[in-house]
This record gives sequence, C-alpha cells and structure tokens, in this order.
Amino acid sequence: MSPLRRLTRFELACAKDAFIAIFPGDQGIATMDIDGYVKDTLARIPLEPVIGVRLAIWIVALAPIFVLRRLVTLHGLAPSDRELVLVALATSRFYAVRQLLLALKAVAALLYAGDPTVRARLLGPSEPLLTPSRIVRKAPRSLRPSAPAPETPNEKQKPHAAVA
Amino acid sequence: MPPSPDRFPDEDLPQGAVVDGLALTRDVDEAFDYVVIGSGAGGAVAAHTLASAGYSVGILEEGPWVKTRDFGSDVRGAFDRIMRDNGLQVLKGRAYMPMIQGRCVGGSTVVNSAIVWRTPEDVVDDWSARFGLGTAITMKDLDPHFDALERDLHVQSVADDVLGENNRLFLEQARKNGIEAAPMRRYDKGCIGSGNCLTGCADGKKQGMNISYVPWALAKGARIFTSCRAERVEVRGRRAVGVIARGHGGHAVRLRARRGVFVAASTVQTPNLLRRSGIRSRALGEHFQAHPGLALGGLMKQRVDMSFGATQGAESIHFRKSDRFKLETISMPPELAAARIPGVGSELAARMARFGDVAVWAVQVRAEAEGTVRPGWGGGDVVRLTLTENDLRATRKACALLGRMLFEAGAREVWPGIYGVPYVLRSIDDVKLIEEAPLDPRAYSFIATHLFGAARMGPDPRTSVVGLDFACHEAEELYVVDSSIFPTNLGVNPQHSIMALSRLAASRVAARASRSAVA
Repeated sequence: MSPLRRLTRFELACAKDAFIAIFPGDQGIATMDIDGYVKDTLARIPLEPVIGVRLAIWIVALAPIFVLRRLVTLHGLAPSDRELVLVALATSRFYAVRQLLLALKAVAALLYAGDPTVRARLLGPSEPLLTPSRIVRKAPRSLRPSAPAPETPNEKQKPHAAVA
Repeated sequence: MPPSPDRFPDEDLPQGAVVDGLALTRDVDEAFDYVVIGSGAGGAVAAHTLASAGYSVGILEEGPWVKTRDFGSDVRGAFDRIMRDNGLQVLKGRAYMPMIQGRCVGGSTVVNSAIVWRTPEDVVDDWSARFGLGTAITMKDLDPHFDALERDLHVQSVADDVLGENNRLFLEQARKNGIEAAPMRRYDKGCIGSGNCLTGCADGKKQGMNISYVPWALAKGARIFTSCRAERVEVRGRRAVGVIARGHGGHAVRLRARRGVFVAASTVQTPNLLRRSGIRSRALGEHFQAHPGLALGGLMKQRVDMSFGATQGAESIHFRKSDRFKLETISMPPELAAARIPGVGSELAARMARFGDVAVWAVQVRAEAEGTVRPGWGGGDVVRLTLTENDLRATRKACALLGRMLFEAGAREVWPGIYGVPYVLRSIDDVKLIEEAPLDPRAYSFIATHLFGAARMGPDPRTSVVGLDFACHEAEELYVVDSSIFPTNLGVNPQHSIMALSRLAASRVAARASRSAVA
C-alpha cells in the first residue's frame, strides 16, 4: 500500500478524536471501530481525496493553536473543548478549512449513521428537542463560537457562517 | 419469457452474454456490427435499438454489474461499488462541488431518482435557432421515441400511497403559494416507497437500465463486457473500426466494429475518450454545463420520516423559464443527511435525535456558466466550472423561497447551508437573510448531478464536435449519444432526453445501414 494511504499513529489518534467530537456520547461513534474504518476507507478511495482527508486531519489536529491560542493539539484537549474547536473550523472564514472539515464530517457520518443500530435509532421516533443555543451557552464564554444564531426573530441578526 | 415474480430481470440473462473483465483469463478480440461504450441511459438504449434492428452489438462498461439482489440501504457500500471514484468525484472551479455519477451496468440510472421530463420545447427551439441544429432534431422527431420509452419503462406519476410526507408537504406548500407543482413522473414499476433510489433499488421497481434495456438488448443477442475500461476508439482512415479496452483484471479487450462505434460514456468521460482516440476538435471539452443542486433542510414540528416514500417525489418547474431554477424534494438517508445537518458534537446530536422530523427540499439551477473537461493526472478527468453571479442570484432566490415554504409548512428551524447566512434560521422573518447571501460560489454547498456539453453537436466543425447525424466531424461511424452532445443544459432532469436522442440516433443509423445493405 502507498505510504500516502497509511496514517501515522498520531494522525489516526487525531482522526479518532475528531470523529468522537463530531458524534459524541455513550452511543456515539466512539463505540465503533474507527481505526479499522479509517484505514479501510483510505485504502479504497482515490488518492486525491486521501490527501484531502489527511490534510483535514492535520488542520483539525493543529487547530487549537490558532483557535484557542494554546500550544496544544486536538488530542491534548478536553472533549468539550474539542467540540468548540471543530465549531470554529466549521464556521471558518477560510473556504478550504470549512470544506476540509465538511469532508471529515462526511467521512465520519458514513461510519456513524451507517451503523444499523444508529440507523434504527435515527429512523425511529424523535427525541425532545434540546435547543442547540442552550448547549452552546453552557460552554465557557471564551470558547463559545463567534456568532450563535439568534433565537428570536426580533433579535438583531448578524450574518454568520454556515456549518455544512 | 418474462421473469418469474421472485426473480429480477438481471438474474435471467442469456448464457455467455456477460463477460466480466475482472475474471478474464486471456485477452479478448471479438467483432460486432456495432460497439457501444457505456451502459447508462445513452448506451443501453442505443444497444437495444441496434440489437432490435438485427445487428450484433458489443457493450463495454467500465463498472461491474451489481445485481438487484445485492442492493441495499448501505450508502458506503453503494458508494464503493456503484459510484465513480467511490462517490468522491468533484467538479473544480472557484468552489468544489461533489459530482455524482454511477459507474456500473446501468450507469447513473442505477443511482438517480428516475425522474422523467421530455426535452422542453423551448430548448429544442433554441438548439435549432441558436446552435444550427435546424430541423435535424425536432419535437416531432423526438415524440415517438418519448412515447416508446414511456411505454417500455412504465412511466407514471408517484402514487399517493408512496408519496411520503416530505413530498406531500412540498406539494401542499407549493399549492398554498400558487406555485405550479406536481408529483414526479418516474420510471416506476410499482414503487413501494423504500426511499432507496440513491443506493440502487433493491426491490427492482425503479426501471434503471440495469434491469431494462441492458437485459433486453442481451436477450436480442447483444453481449456486455463489464469491468472493462475503454481506452480509445480505433480510428483508421477517418473511420471508427473498433474499441481498445482493458479488463480490470489486466487483460486487453479489443472489440472490432464492422459498422460503427457509439460512445455514451457520459459528459465527463466522453470528451477525454474522444481525445485519446485522436479527435482534435477545438470545441472538444468546451461548453460544459450543469444543473448545480442545493438542498435546504428543515426541522419540522411534525414527523416527516424521509425513510418512507419516493426518494424524490414532488417538483415544480414554475420558475424554470423566468428564473432558471427547478424546485424538488429529496429524501436523504441518515449517512448523507448527517454531513449536511448543522453543527458538531452535542449540537449535531440534538438535531440528529430528531432526524425523523427533518424535511429536505432542493433547488436545481439551470446554470448559465460554462466550464471545461480536460484530461487529468493519471488518466483521470478534470472538470472545471465556476458559477456566475446570475446563477447565484437564481440560487438564493430559490433558497429563500424554499426557506419560506419550509417555515410555512411547520419548520422550527431551517438550515440554508450558505456561508454568510446564519446556519440555523428560526423564523420566517430570518429568510430575508438568504436573499442577501453573498454572490460567491464558495458560500454555497452545491452538488452537481446533471452534466451537459463538452462534445457539443452542431453543423460547424470549428464550433462543435459532433455533426447533425450524431457522428464526430472528424471520424465517420463514430457516434456520440450521451448528454455531452447537448448544446445547452435543459432546466429539467436529462435522462429522458438522453434516451430519446440516443434512440433517435441509433434508429437513424440502423435505418441508413439497412438501406445501404439493400442498395
């Protein structure tokens, strides 16, 4: 196999951290074979997307340095901080950063939502809505995304980036 | 003999009709009257038409034959087995767009939603007047072919009992807004609303080419070489005489063509195949067009359950002429929707927990932008297209309309997926923000599914690749019958137009060949 398709242990650990931050929880992606899935995916897909996925992993890995201004990789962060770093990347003003995070999210989604148990749960009855802005407000002020969407129509609206 | 009810048409194939390029143990060299490259909408219909006229036909298909019984709802498996580049092909320009194409027997008809639209009359008139097609292709020419295709493929409107809530809500809202809309007409032989069109219909109800014209052509004596990539058309003395291909197992496959070669490899692959075959037209690879699509999600107050109902079952062409867009529904499986639902972590989880309440409606833009198809690194194809400001204006107008309709239909949240607009809108008053979205293609999350041009038809060899008889200007008996010959995009789904034009071309070629044989 081409070395380009083989992740280092550090890259694999960061990919795993990112996947778990995207789909967290007791019944989240952490319960699945992320290592095997990532290795298998990179072995199958064309080389160009392989490079894109690796680039995305590195951006995610080093993002805390730019987002939190702390000399630490994603692996060294607490789970709640990892989530906020990913939110910041998803709403980045840099198109390439947004797209690469979207690519990583799409790869993770194929594993997570493709799991038969998760699928059955998602397609079953809905759970009560937990307003996302309430979740965001629980985070420390310094780690909140720059512009959470307003909840009321009358609140002054500031254009805000899309999370893909 | 019709297949028994418990068997699918792709399970009752004539002995020896399918040659698997992966399992070949030696090189192949065979001769046919006609060789057809591609088994999608264009290729399958051409092969069937030629075989029905009594000619021997060899079909080359780059992908495998994935049988109906092996289809399922597994998106990743489908991407790996039946999509080009595992579903990761992208169109490059100022922004990247995923570009979905099937790569299997049946081509994109295996993974699309089987939507039927006759070529709009204004498009045919435009081709005639502006691109010099004159009377070569008229509605009068096409109508009998549309009729035959609709009979063969059981075209019908989505039945009420399999419409599903996503489609029903769209129709209701369109009606309330005075927007002309209707259930889609599809190639549908008893759809049961499994919502799995995108991963291949495991029930054998969607009438893709894999269970219709390809098996029917084989029943008439045609043979298909699957998992064989066409490397080039052999052109000798300005005449196409065969195709050189390679099986995925590594063996060479040479199919000689006594009468001619039909290319239906798709808008992306045909231009570079022609280039590799020595065609040097200045117009080759130019004038590529698309219908970029963008989906808006809505988290509704009521249950929608996208897992039941026609994958795409409702649409509106109300704005096709005035604003160059078409509205339609699309039910996404969780694996694809999850990437599109806003947020990560607990925010995403909260929304995913209500996946059953999600509705997805989309816009297809008849983009005026033109791009190129060029050979890429390692034998790949590079497609470039950057949408114009007009295209983006049309997009945001359509998105704003869909956003309003979703709120009126009971959405708590609408997810526009446009950078520069809040990623979650919570009231109908927020929709005006979409109308002010940036006119920058990088702000939008488009997907390109309908592709056109790049081997355009026309009378002038300086500005077109294919002549009015569907043959390349530079090579006799080398016909192109996919949407690469379309002078423009359509504003409606193209499969029906591709099939009708292919049937028209193959009928004309067969009739001319039989006349010359008699003479």
